[in-house]
Amino acid sequence: MNLSNALRMTAGLGLVAAALSAAPALAEDALAKLKAQGFARVAIANEPPFTAVAADGKVSGAAPDVAREIFKKLGVGDIVASISEYGAMIPGLKAGRHDVITAGLFMKPERCAAVSYSEPILCDAEAMLVKKGNPKGFKSYGDIAKDSEAKVGAPGGGTEEKLALEAGVPRDRVIVVPDGQSGLKMLQDGRIDAYSLPVLSLNALAMKANDPSLEIIAPVENTPVYCDGAAFRKEDVALRDAFDVELKKMKENGEFAKLIEPYGFSAKAAMSTSRDKLCGGPN
Amino acid sequence: MEWDWTFVRDIMPLLLDGLRLTLVATVLGAALAAVVGLVFAVLRRSPIKAVSLSTAAVVEFIRGTPLLVQLYFIFFVLPDVGISLPAMTCGVIGLGLHYGTYAAEVYRGGIDNVAKGQWEAAKAVNLTKRQTWVHVILPQAIPPMIPALANYLVAMFKETPLLSAITVLELMNQAKSIANSNYRYIEPMTLVGVFFLIMSLISVAFLRVLENRFKERT
Repeated sequence: MNLSNALRMTAGLGLVAAALSAAPALAEDALAKLKAQGFARVAIANEPPFTAVAADGKVSGAAPDVAREIFKKLGVGDIVASISEYGAMIPGLKAGRHDVITAGLFMKPERCAAVSYSEPILCDAEAMLVKKGNPKGFKSYGDIAKDSEAKVGAPGGGTEEKLALEAGVPRDRVIVVPDGQSGLKMLQDGRIDAYSLPVLSLNALAMKANDPSLEIIAPVENTPVYCDGAAFRKEDVALRDAFDVELKKMKENGEFAKLIEPYGFSAKAAMSTSRDKLCGGPN
Repeated sequence: MEWDWTFVRDIMPLLLDGLRLTLVATVLGAALAAVVGLVFAVLRRSPIKAVSLSTAAVVEFIRGTPLLVQLYFIFFVLPDVGISLPAMTCGVIGLGLHYGTYAAEVYRGGIDNVAKGQWEAAKAVNLTKRQTWVHVILPQAIPPMIPALANYLVAMFKETPLLSAITVLELMNQAKSIANSNYRYIEPMTLVGVFFLIMSLISVAFLRVLENRFKERT
């Protein structure tokens, strides 16, 4: 009895050891495996502008577009997307249902503990809509505080209002604007000197307004930035690193900006921060 | 649902600041309404048909459209023709014009109520037009108008939250802003209601006193 138990234990340990030694081998081969299968399985959410599925089933949105391009450069021909709930993405990734998450899943320290993120891709940050050429030279809410005449519009009780007040803009120069159209009109009429909203919302507004006399300043300096990245399994760090190399090249040669800016994302915001900052440590 | 007195203490200064703006808007709006109403009432009685008819048309137009629409128009549309006024000024003009047309009707009723014989008597003793108005007609016409005007004053006070639509940070707007950044509605909204109730009760009491005084006189 004792002997057979011991034997079984040894056998068990041997299996575990085999599995452990096999894991790194698998990870190194993750890219090779994707190349062989010809496509990467990505998780998306069908939430424009991050991810979108057209009526004919074609996957677009900024996150899959960037991933498709990078995988192509890595020698993986295409991506195949499956729609998933946000909460199910990381468990699904760990269970091997997809190879990477490209869905606008923002980096947070607790998520970084569960997956390996690429460098930042899609970011939301604070932005300001100002007159063309930024006549008052605003870069931060602090600049508005310093100009004793300047007024900034922001939604009541929103992050922008709080940030402006914290930066020292007095209450009577932070105008509570009820909606985007009002903010736009007030800026055009010169009632306010800047209208502040997150980049995505402001880009959507500016696109609809299509007024060449206005421009967007993004990101506002000294404000928090939230970004997603492509999320890989912890054991696929090598694949993640290969992905990062191509991403970095695209950021440098402007291809990256060309891909995401039509969707309203700011490439500058993504380049203003890093994975280590957003994760609160190395990931 | 829990009432938090510390939160109430924290937000009180902000709300009182909002209340101050609400009262300023009401007082200035009422003053403007009193003057505008008188102008409309007098113009409407003009013997010149063109003047009285066009005044009537303007009054009916303003009375027949919502105050909120007028406020949006003054604040967001007038800048397109080069008239850009501060938010508070727009609010006071909106309130003043809108309630001015109501006041005009009250004035007209009051003036029409003065017995015809009074006009004839004034003419008989050879009073000038100015003397007739200042010494005969208005002293008799104004007292019965006061309760009706005071009613409109209370109504206007309660409509000032509309100014939040044109970015005036009055009581209601201030409360909304507090609620949005603290995720709590119960304290700010209750306090807004309480403030309005207190102010309305004070005005109603004042109105009673006025009414009684004029009753005694007649």
